[in-house]
Amino acid sequence: MEADLDMKIRKVDDIPVVDLAGDVDAYTCLKLREAIVDLVNEGESRVVIGMSNVNYIDSSGLGTLVGGLRRVSEKNGGLAISGATPQIKKVMSITGLNKVFRVFEDEVKAVRSLKP
Amino acid sequence: MASKRKVTKQVEVESRLFAKASASDDEWEPEDLNMFRFLRRVLNHIDLAYVATYPPQECGIATFTRDLSTAISKYTPFSNPFVIAVGEGADIEQFPKIVKFQITKSDPQSYVRAAEMVNNSAVRGVSLQHEYGIFGGLDGEYVLKFVEKLERPSVVTLHTVLFNPGPNQKRIVQELGRMCDALVVMVKMGKEMLVNNYGVPANKVAIIPHGVPNVHRVSAATIKKTLGISDRPVVSSFGLINRGKGIEYGIQAMPGILKKHPDAMYFVLGETHPGVRHNEGESYRKELLQIVADLGLEKNVRFNNRYLKLEELINYLCATDVYITPYLNRDQIVSGTLAYALGCGKAIVSTPYLYAEEVLSGGRGLLVDFRSPDQLSGAVNRILDDAVIREQMETKAYKYGRRAAWFNVAIDYLDLFHRLCPRPKVALGKDLKVSQAESRKGQSS
Repeated sequence: MEADLDMKIRKVDDIPVVDLAGDVDAYTCLKLREAIVDLVNEGESRVVIGMSNVNYIDSSGLGTLVGGLRRVSEKNGGLAISGATPQIKKVMSITGLNKVFRVFEDEVKAVRSLKP
Repeated sequence: MASKRKVTKQVEVESRLFAKASASDDEWEPEDLNMFRFLRRVLNHIDLAYVATYPPQECGIATFTRDLSTAISKYTPFSNPFVIAVGEGADIEQFPKIVKFQITKSDPQSYVRAAEMVNNSAVRGVSLQHEYGIFGGLDGEYVLKFVEKLERPSVVTLHTVLFNPGPNQKRIVQELGRMCDALVVMVKMGKEMLVNNYGVPANKVAIIPHGVPNVHRVSAATIKKTLGISDRPVVSSFGLINRGKGIEYGIQAMPGILKKHPDAMYFVLGETHPGVRHNEGESYRKELLQIVADLGLEKNVRFNNRYLKLEELINYLCATDVYITPYLNRDQIVSGTLAYALGCGKAIVSTPYLYAEEVLSGGRGLLVDFRSPDQLSGAVNRILDDAVIREQMETKAYKYGRRAAWFNVAIDYLDLFHRLCPRPKVALGKDLKVSQAESRKGQSS
């Protein structure tokens, strides 16, 4: 199956930002999961997920984000979401995950939220 | 041991949210239960009841209900949904456990009891699937007995909206519009008809597309190899076969297609509709086989007379070059099979029934006249001959299909229910688990 999720990782103020483009669903979420696991294994405990180019997210994608949050929480870190589109915000709000994640439109604010 | 069972149960619930992402080392360990408890506290809960036919009943609405309830459950892992299945006297034990009650189609009192069961449960909202034929009474009017008695917000998904309804058919939809909190249709034309022809207030009608499976695009050539039909152009139709599908026109189009594509195959996928089989046996299928024989198409038309599992169906659709719906009923307002083909990103040729006319607009497919094999073969050849047109059509279809993926449709329905269903300030009625167990036991006789 074709994996319709592109991913790039860069750093902003020493915090890794995982830029996603495409759909985060049952087919593609493992790619994101592996990226977060790798970052945590490399010693990162604070991660921003850039979602401005994510079209859709399903329950598997949400599960991956929660799994990521669990991982960084174990390291006393945090996970923030930046650039959430109206569709992503709607999903977060309807599920109640907006009470679990720190969701920002602005990347700078997302990065700042993870600073001590 | 009790503690271990508790953890196992919690892992099961959690995995519904995490789906495939957590299949391995993401599973909750006892020390992670704080997170689990936190999620259980903060995630939104909404207990819904679904009233409709349900698998193993074989009909499009049963499949729709299963797919919708499953998709919604994935976003509401701590909720307790259940199904009230409408059928004719079958043993409730034939159904999966999510079915907690059965309405006996021909028994009007059964509809009242179902509503009372909902009223005495923790359910906050009801999703009712409407099609005249699945309910008892004249034109399925017994459904109104359920709605009249119901004391919970209800959302009715209309699978049929007739342009020229009979007086009783019109009355039933009008009453549903009056007593229920929202009506859902799958295309704009459905809303226009409800407002203009039935007098339903526009603010009560929502448009939510027919859901489609989450399928990622894959080249037809790859799948064709697995089906043993490498390099052959594939045309297909699927669904529960009945005369309204117009399959004979698809078969009659094949000689015109074979003139330009001698190896082309036409797959007719699916068994005869159980209702049709009950009324007239396999006479329609026999007529189709006779047309195949008369035209000498035995090597180019293949029937798969089975109720296909979703995976098989998706495989056939992915192997398809052109999907066709030569349906005959201009008024048809929804087609699950056409929706699925869009979800798989297929180039489509169809007759202009209402649903097809709308969803295939904007270059997502080609429309041909009803009962016109020549136009059908011409349109199929146009797509098979021109890779650019085909690719454009497939891309547009797939884009539409992504928006209509079940995981998006579930969010649309949940959005509607959250707006309609107030959060209870105190517990409603009896404990749901107790009432479900009691009702299941009571209905199995």
